[in-house]
Amino acid sequence: MRVNTNIVPNILADLQQSQATLNTLLSELASGKSVNVPSDNPTASAQMVQNALETANVDRYTQNISSALSQVQTAGSVLSSVVTSLTQAVSLGTEGANGTNNSSSLAALAQQVQTILSTVVSQANTTVGGVYLFGGTASGAVPYSADSSSPAGYVYNGNNDANSVAVGDNMNVPINLPGSQVFSDSGNNVIGALNSLVSALKSGNTAQISSATTAVNSSISIVSQAQGFYGNAAGQLNAQETFLQQDTVTLATQQNDLVGANMAQVATELSQAETDNSAAMAAAARILPNSLLNYLPPPA
Amino acid sequence: MGGLLISLLSGTQALDAAQAALQSASNNIANANTPGYTREVALLSENPEYFSGGNLTGGGVSVSAIQSVRDELLNLQIQQQTSLKSRADTESSNLQSLQPLFSSTGEDIASTLAAFSSCLGQLSSSPTDASVRQSVLDAGQNLANSFHSAAGGLQSAQSAADQQVTQTVAQINSLTSQIAQLNAQLTPSVMAQQNGGTIEDQRDQLVQQLSTLTDISITQSSDGEVITTGNGTSLIMGGQSFALQTTTGAGGFQQVLDSNGNNITASIQGGQLGGAIQIRDQVIPGFLGSLNSLATQFAAGFNAAQAGGYDSNGAPGQAFFSIPANGSAAASIGVALTSGSQIAASSDKSAGSNGNVANLLAAVNGNMSSGQSPAAAYSNLVYQVGSAASSASAQSSALNQSIVQLTNQQSAASGVNIDEETTNLIRYQTAYEAAARVVSTIQQLNTVTLNMGSTQTF
Repeated sequence: MRVNTNIVPNILADLQQSQATLNTLLSELASGKSVNVPSDNPTASAQMVQNALETANVDRYTQNISSALSQVQTAGSVLSSVVTSLTQAVSLGTEGANGTNNSSSLAALAQQVQTILSTVVSQANTTVGGVYLFGGTASGAVPYSADSSSPAGYVYNGNNDANSVAVGDNMNVPINLPGSQVFSDSGNNVIGALNSLVSALKSGNTAQISSATTAVNSSISIVSQAQGFYGNAAGQLNAQETFLQQDTVTLATQQNDLVGANMAQVATELSQAETDNSAAMAAAARILPNSLLNYLPPPA
Repeated sequence: MGGLLISLLSGTQALDAAQAALQSASNNIANANTPGYTREVALLSENPEYFSGGNLTGGGVSVSAIQSVRDELLNLQIQQQTSLKSRADTESSNLQSLQPLFSSTGEDIASTLAAFSSCLGQLSSSPTDASVRQSVLDAGQNLANSFHSAAGGLQSAQSAADQQVTQTVAQINSLTSQIAQLNAQLTPSVMAQQNGGTIEDQRDQLVQQLSTLTDISITQSSDGEVITTGNGTSLIMGGQSFALQTTTGAGGFQQVLDSNGNNITASIQGGQLGGAIQIRDQVIPGFLGSLNSLATQFAAGFNAAQAGGYDSNGAPGQAFFSIPANGSAAASIGVALTSGSQIAASSDKSAGSNGNVANLLAAVNGNMSSGQSPAAAYSNLVYQVGSAASSASAQSSALNQSIVQLTNQQSAASGVNIDEETTNLIRYQTAYEAAARVVSTIQQLNTVTLNMGSTQTF
């Protein structure tokens, strides 16, 4: 049987193939990625679409949590100072109701409670990043403004709605309570109670002072409830943040598994490919010059 | 004398034979690296015996032919495989150009969809921030642009394949007319008189080229070689060629017609032509269809979520994306809103509400009307593109292996082996020297005979 002795095309093809392998491995090593175009690994490329979207979402949720936390924590600290103010007002009211005060000291007490009232109102109008914390979702207007026609002396300009921030897929954490549920609740109106206490102190009627003080005292509970709400929200946000941190790691690991190059493996394959390439060249160098002509005597 | 003259004749014939063999060896060496060259061998045969002086005497040698050693069956197999490989190569190279459109470049749909979702998420924590609203609008525009460039890339690849069809048909026509001309020279009478080797080599080369362009089938008939396309459309019949034509079809793409004007586009399977037609009429329209339905459903879902909320001014949300009804949704999807304040983040008509953002986010991350999420539908498309490209290139390398093997077999039969030719040179050199010695010996003997009994010396 006749053998194909024209091995040049085969040798060239072998050399090209080992060179191509070397190039692929070098680019994997340089880029750190084993998948650059979809055909490198169609399944991994398809999964990367979902991974990219989830990674972007998780980053955004994490940022949302940090801005929501700053709102929730500010609201929490505002409410604790409101509670302190209210406790002060209660002790002032109790002092006013003990029947030993003359009119000038009652007026001084009324003045102090009035100051507390203004403080509480300004706290109810706190903004974070230009957003009123207790205005519901109506962010445009100051939540509480003075209004002499209102029995409470202040009118609520916000609405009764609350916002929830997206912090996970299908997970929205409510991050605010409208002022109407904290400071001007219909059954337990903080501002109204303080206003009544001021009027009662001004009027000097001990019974009125006493009942107004009781009202202020009981309004502390609704502020405490609101504190509980914000504490709870902060807890939820912190827990979700921990989860998202884990999720980020999971997604990064998945991305690396899908399209990252396994450096140790690529380096090993590279040295193998180098050996293959040198072997192919050594073989070519040995075989190509072989010819019968080398062994024939030169023509005389 | 008769015996000596017969020997002289055999000597001369032996010289001729050795010369012919040396010629074919030297021609083989000369063409050792010529593509398509088929090695020649001088076929020597024994002449009939003479009956001379009561004895049978050998009649010497003659050169019966100089024959090219070719294996028609192998040629046929190589042509078939070449045609399949060329189709896979064409598909592969066309698909390669599509891949960057679906790779993670930051401008692809996966990246811009993720950015859009991220901007919407920010709206959840800052619904009143005008810059955030503007960023949602910009991200929406980027997403629309990604759809445009993916659709544009697919369409330009489709028209590139269309141009390839026209060019390939022109090449086929030029090759078939050249082959027909060569066939005309290879009439049976010519074949009987002289070796058709060179012309056959040239024709085989051209037929080989033709098989990279389309799938062909070759039969021998009384008119000579008949070449048809895979589906039986005549291309060449002996010395006559039939040109294919192209005409603009309904979709604006070139259709291939046979010489009688019948449309044979759909039946062309192999070669560059088959590959280009497959890409243009099947593969890319499939991708474009998926992309268009993704764009349409995504935009419809998002617009519906937008309609469920209220913008910064308390007005019901208007459509965010505009989608033309002409079927090319991906190429012409646009952002219909002109201001960030028109994004319907609010669920209660107040400007500070973010109640509808969750619905907008769900339209991006949740399922569309098809039951798939936009990311899932897009990743399916990425998978299809990647898998089509990788299977075309895998097919090409598999076919390449089989062609390498067949070509090796063909070279084994028809290729020139320098060592073999060197051996033949030595062998026929010796034969020539021996034959020359025979002639000079007979001449000496003749001289001796003529000098017998003569005073005159010759």
